[in-house]
Amino acid sequence: MSTLWSSRTLLASAATLAFMASLPLWGDDPAIGVGINLLVWVALSASWIVFSGLTGYISLGHAVFYGIGGYVTALLWLSVPMWASVAAGGVAAALLALVAGYPCLRVRGPYFVMLTFGLSQFVKFVVIEIETALQIGGRLIIGAPPLDIIYWLFLAMATGAVVLLAVIRYSRFGSGLRAIREDEVAAETIGIPTVKYKALAFAISAIIPGLVGGIMLMRSGYLEPDTIFDPTVSLTMICIAVIGGGNTPATALLGSLLLVGLSETLWVRFPLVYMILLGCLLVTFVLAVPQGLLGLLAQWRHRLHRRGEK
Amino acid sequence: MIDVVFSAQLALAAIAAGAIYALVATGLNLVYGTLRLLNIAHGDFVMIGAYLAFWVFTLFDFGPALSLPLSVITGILLGLVTYKGLVSTLTQHSAHTDRLESNSLLAFFGISIVLQNGAALLFTNNIRAYRYFDQVITLGTMSITGNRLLTLVISTFLALATAAYLRFTLFGLATRAVIQNRDASSIVGINLPRIYLVSLCFGFSLACVSGVLVSMMEPISPIMGFGYGIPAFVIIMLGGLGNLFGGITAAFALGVVETYGLALAGSNYRSLLVYGIFILVMILRPEGLFGKSQAAR
Repeated sequence: MSTLWSSRTLLASAATLAFMASLPLWGDDPAIGVGINLLVWVALSASWIVFSGLTGYISLGHAVFYGIGGYVTALLWLSVPMWASVAAGGVAAALLALVAGYPCLRVRGPYFVMLTFGLSQFVKFVVIEIETALQIGGRLIIGAPPLDIIYWLFLAMATGAVVLLAVIRYSRFGSGLRAIREDEVAAETIGIPTVKYKALAFAISAIIPGLVGGIMLMRSGYLEPDTIFDPTVSLTMICIAVIGGGNTPATALLGSLLLVGLSETLWVRFPLVYMILLGCLLVTFVLAVPQGLLGLLAQWRHRLHRRGEK
Repeated sequence: MIDVVFSAQLALAAIAAGAIYALVATGLNLVYGTLRLLNIAHGDFVMIGAYLAFWVFTLFDFGPALSLPLSVITGILLGLVTYKGLVSTLTQHSAHTDRLESNSLLAFFGISIVLQNGAALLFTNNIRAYRYFDQVITLGTMSITGNRLLTLVISTFLALATAAYLRFTLFGLATRAVIQNRDASSIVGINLPRIYLVSLCFGFSLACVSGVLVSMMEPISPIMGFGYGIPAFVIIMLGGLGNLFGGITAAFALGVVETYGLALAGSNYRSLLVYGIFILVMILRPEGLFGKSQAAR
């Protein structure tokens, strides 16, 4: 706890935040684009860690919350104020997580993992069927705010997700979630309401992806069910968390930096190579580096420290 | 409409769909039953078999007579590679064993991504198909294309052969013992790593063989694996994880539900129906229709 709230960490966080916030003032559009990319993944992966990182229940389907947020925003666009349609996306995502999560979370381990994947695919196909039945190929979003406003909204999301993760991780609630991860039966025995905690964490971790989906819709200006529910979104969140290692805010920051660097260099020109590399990274880290980059850094620091003592 | 529903034709189609599902699911179940690894990439091995058959047919003008044995060899090689690279790492590191199931899921998820995008890189995203043995054969009131009949015969034979192997051979008996209780079988002297290796190769070969059969009837694409992997998961959940005979029954049940469902609702709803059944099964009876309650793990 002391390392997180130490004055050095706070100072570094404030400096990073100020730097990121000032980017639209001096950067050109491509730079803002890279910044948005980074912020989106920090927001999404930190939200994923709130649930999956802390409880150990791996969700392969978090893209569904991002997608439903975008879809609800598109449905309500211009019929309610702009902020309300984005907020509705977040609410819808949380409600979906509550409604779906309560029955899902009674099943444990691999069953839950498969269920999240099935659920996200199911919702995707339902939305595609609805859009086909309505004979809408895609929805145009007109009158979205300018790029720098959208950037600051994403910055707010990323900051919100990181703070949320930090607060929850060190709260009583977060300790309960981590106890579930270590031994669910024991956690239940000592009086942690496991089902309630899991469902609550699932819903909380869905809110920010829902909002991010809505803001992303304003950025792209166009809704296509196939792309907004893309399972790649879930995959990327997982890769960031696994590569980062552990379940702290630093996990999300470090992992996102690496993945965004990779996608900025590869994604546009060689999307397939990028995906293959992502898959290879996931396999390698799961098998060979389960402690992740953070764990590796800690090991190196430890080794340097010991060498210094001699 | 009504006479379509009660026709022998549709019943035959349901059985044919069930037979191929049984084959895919048996492979998945064998791997889960013995190793307790959930192979999300199982459908992608079906895809590999399908591409193999496609290229053998297009380049060398050979049908399943050549691609079937080749697919078995491919499956065995894939099993060997997976065993060396993945299983031995996952089961040996003590840090891994307590989270084996989630870790194996993530690792196979990565493998699935690599296989799908690798196939797209090598063979493009174009949907491919070839015509082989597709003349219509009439049996009484029913008619069926030759390749569908061939698939039905081969997959029934393979399902029976697998069942016989498990029931009548000593190695099959050992495999069933491992499925029932891993620790106890280790104590009575069963060579676990050998069972693991053989089951992996066997399971992957079944997937590749299914791919060869499927390729004669359905279009081939890099993401076709989902269309078989997900139903296979539905089936082994329904039949009970690791319960091979329950799985075969469930495969035919799913074949019937899907064929009749689509005949009534229209084929656009295939994904919706399969994923819908998947979610229902997982929520209502994760221990399977024939299984004992063992979901609490």
